[in-house]
Amino acid sequence: MLLKQFFIFCFLICVSIPGFCSSSQAENQLPFPLNPFELKNGLQVILSEDYSLPIVSVAIAYHVGSMHEEEGKSGLAYLLENLMFLGSRNIGRMQHISFIQRIGGKLNAITDVDKTIFFQTVSSHQLASVLWLESDRMNSLSITSANVQRVKRALIEEMQLRKTEDPFVESTNQINKLLFPDFAYHHPVRGVEADLREITVEDVNKFYNTYYKPNNAVLCITGNIDKAKTITLIRKYFETIPRGNEIPRLPPAKLIQMESSVTNINNPLVSTPGFYLCYRLANPLTSDFYTLAIIDYILLKGNSSRLYTKLFKKDRLAYQINGTIDKRKDLAAYKIFVRNTNEIMLERSQKAIFSEINRLKSNPISEKELQKAKNLFKIDYIHQYSTLQNRAIFLVDATLSGIDLKELTNELNKYMAVTPMKIIGIANRYFVQKGILLNIKTK
Amino acid sequence: MINQLRTTSRYCYSCAIVIIITLLQFPIFAQERYRRSPPYPDPLPSLNLPEIQSNVLNNGLKLYVVHRQNLPIISLRLLIMNGESSSPNSSPGLATFTANMLTKGAVGLSSSEIGEIIDSIGGKLSSQVFPDYTVFSFSFLDEYFDRALDLLSRMILQPSFSSQEIRNLKRTMYYDLARRNPDPEYIGKKLLYQILFKDHSYSHMAFNTDFINDLDRKDLMMFFEKYYRPSNAQLIVIGNLNLSTASKKISQYLNSWKGEVNEYYQYKVPKALERDKVCFINVPKTKDAIIFMGIILPPKSNRDFFPLLVMNQVMGGTHLSRLFMNLRESKGYAYWAYSFMEFYKICGVFYIRAKVRPSVIYAAVQEILSEIGAIYNRRIPSHEIEQAKSYLIGNFPLSIETYDDLSSRVSEIQAFNLGNEHWDKYYENIMYINSQEVFATARRIPILKPVIVIVGDKDTTLEHLSQFEEVEVYNDEGEMQYKITKENNEEK
Repeated sequence: MLLKQFFIFCFLICVSIPGFCSSSQAENQLPFPLNPFELKNGLQVILSEDYSLPIVSVAIAYHVGSMHEEEGKSGLAYLLENLMFLGSRNIGRMQHISFIQRIGGKLNAITDVDKTIFFQTVSSHQLASVLWLESDRMNSLSITSANVQRVKRALIEEMQLRKTEDPFVESTNQINKLLFPDFAYHHPVRGVEADLREITVEDVNKFYNTYYKPNNAVLCITGNIDKAKTITLIRKYFETIPRGNEIPRLPPAKLIQMESSVTNINNPLVSTPGFYLCYRLANPLTSDFYTLAIIDYILLKGNSSRLYTKLFKKDRLAYQINGTIDKRKDLAAYKIFVRNTNEIMLERSQKAIFSEINRLKSNPISEKELQKAKNLFKIDYIHQYSTLQNRAIFLVDATLSGIDLKELTNELNKYMAVTPMKIIGIANRYFVQKGILLNIKTK
Repeated sequence: MINQLRTTSRYCYSCAIVIIITLLQFPIFAQERYRRSPPYPDPLPSLNLPEIQSNVLNNGLKLYVVHRQNLPIISLRLLIMNGESSSPNSSPGLATFTANMLTKGAVGLSSSEIGEIIDSIGGKLSSQVFPDYTVFSFSFLDEYFDRALDLLSRMILQPSFSSQEIRNLKRTMYYDLARRNPDPEYIGKKLLYQILFKDHSYSHMAFNTDFINDLDRKDLMMFFEKYYRPSNAQLIVIGNLNLSTASKKISQYLNSWKGEVNEYYQYKVPKALERDKVCFINVPKTKDAIIFMGIILPPKSNRDFFPLLVMNQVMGGTHLSRLFMNLRESKGYAYWAYSFMEFYKICGVFYIRAKVRPSVIYAAVQEILSEIGAIYNRRIPSHEIEQAKSYLIGNFPLSIETYDDLSSRVSEIQAFNLGNEHWDKYYENIMYINSQEVFATARRIPILKPVIVIVGDKDTTLEHLSQFEEVEVYNDEGEMQYKITKENNEEK
């Protein structure tokens, strides 16, 4: 009797321990392994083996972007991204690109508000070369007056070309200013021409020496790797690069209660009107964001989303409609962009969108429609890691965004757990009043 | 005095050595020796591609399955073994229209309902029509395999071809084609193909909007009934499943799909041109000129394919290749210049494409012809051959990484009966190519007589073509309007 009571007692103790019964909470839900570690100089590393094909992808992300630029020096991060291809102590100008191309690989880079990512995919027997290339430019980039001038010239030309090819460049800048009042968050990643012209070699040197350091970076290698050999190579090429100074912390974004507003601008470059309708959203790292992401899919993704059906397929109020959640570190906004044939259709489109948003706020969505949105979200989520390159970027991006890799393994389930009642609650919290509207009218 | 000088210089020399050794301790001057040069690569890993398992179902449908387990997605690719070359001469574009109509409704399912079902399974469905075959690409979450097959079977077995949807698609296709017209690269390639395949059914792929008005439901039904038969089809499946499971499921939904194709037409290889030909087409407001140069090649199944692949890489595969290095880096004529190859069942096309300033068109064309002449007259040096091979070998596994790319490669292998040389023997076929083989192959193709197409704004471009002996001016139907000759610069 006493023994029986003892065993019941032990059982009760065990099941009350969190995680005992649901060991799946600790399981990696992602279909690939994760092996994170850190070097002595602060470089974070993630390895993820995959033996499907004899290729590897290497991504290195620096925790620096346009938000780290001072006023008057916009475009510095993007300039540095371009400069990173113009040579370092042991690698000549454009040799990084030539080397990767010679071995049949592909490469690219992106600069964002808070991160800059360099990535390449090559046949796996060339991994050491990629680490040699990346470590050299982290360690000893050639920041010369000639190189800086070369990049500035190219970026200014690119900027001028964009203005002629994309009539919405200025409108985009304006809506970003309305949504994100802080300079750090709203100014264009590519900068403004006047600032670019004034940037000096000293500015570039200072920026590079502050942010392009191993303790401000994450390296991820995915694919056909021998883990032990790969770790040896990483230590060989990266561990001797000295740690940088403490990275300056930026002040947090000002939390502003956004009031609804309507702004009208004339754009002489377009022949038909359009508008941006936007709402400020939650911090992307909060739990509200899971529901907001699904709301985006309900409203605007796929062949049968609510706004696409209402404005484009059924009532033909607009000839173009798209939308996205724009994430900028701790801030985010939902942006809907519409083009119409005339101003009457523009007004009708806005009424239709408000009507759909009100429906979302008051009528519970059916399980069938919710599952449809979740399935579309799920396949896009899976595509974030469907190739080795995407996977490497997915992992460095999550790390720099402050997402714990253990949490990441279970992240998809959190999106899939969104319910009809949560949607009503979150929609009422964030889709307040009539949002921020920017009407773009023709001359 | 001399002794004092010797002592002083020895002293300075020793100081200098001490200073240098000291400075080398500082990172700014010291670096590990191994950083100075790239490391040696490891040995080339084996390709180890998955097996392509195959089966023929009772109704004649050929099934190919490639097992991939890393993602919860299935990719289906349905091929109908007739494409634009099977459209009647009076109606080029019919094959494309028919394929597009299949997703616009089935009996009991409207176009919107089809869209909803695709969304509900996290799916994407698209069609693409080539000269020799029509492809439907369908990917979705693997837990919905049955629902996807149900939808596919309804579209294939009972398409509705409703009058309303035909009208809608006519309007969409008309505007899509019209919207592409200001694109000089699209116009230039279209004209190149119209000329290379003149009087050949492959020219149907360069169709215009003309056929749209006269098209009716009867035409679609006839094309559909004639070619959309299981014995004329292949299905490629990629995902976490095996041949047996795939065969059972697919049979369950598609066994009632019956019928055979009654006529199979063997197309003749298009004739090569007797002489090179310079053609111009006007696209207003084009700031720069686009040059296309193209010839007909043997088909991919031909033994010349791999040497041609290496030749193409040397000529214009990347920005390190001859065309780019000459026309852009050396002469400054072009923004870019590359070469390409495309293959169909009975032949291929090799073409060069370059974007240049109008004032240097003639000089750029001469440089391209000079590069072509170099390939024809002189063996490519071994280091360039090895460089090209290194790229092709390194790039091959990257080119089949996604399910879409993998599916596309497998479908081409099956459609053109290409065999293992284009699959797991790919590396060997590239590795054994040498300079002599490439040289011999280059001399077998009509590379010295390309069709030359120049696209630009006639107001800023025509004046720069006066050095050509003869220029034929075309409209966007591919019809020559008049000629301009050098002698008197007159239109004829």
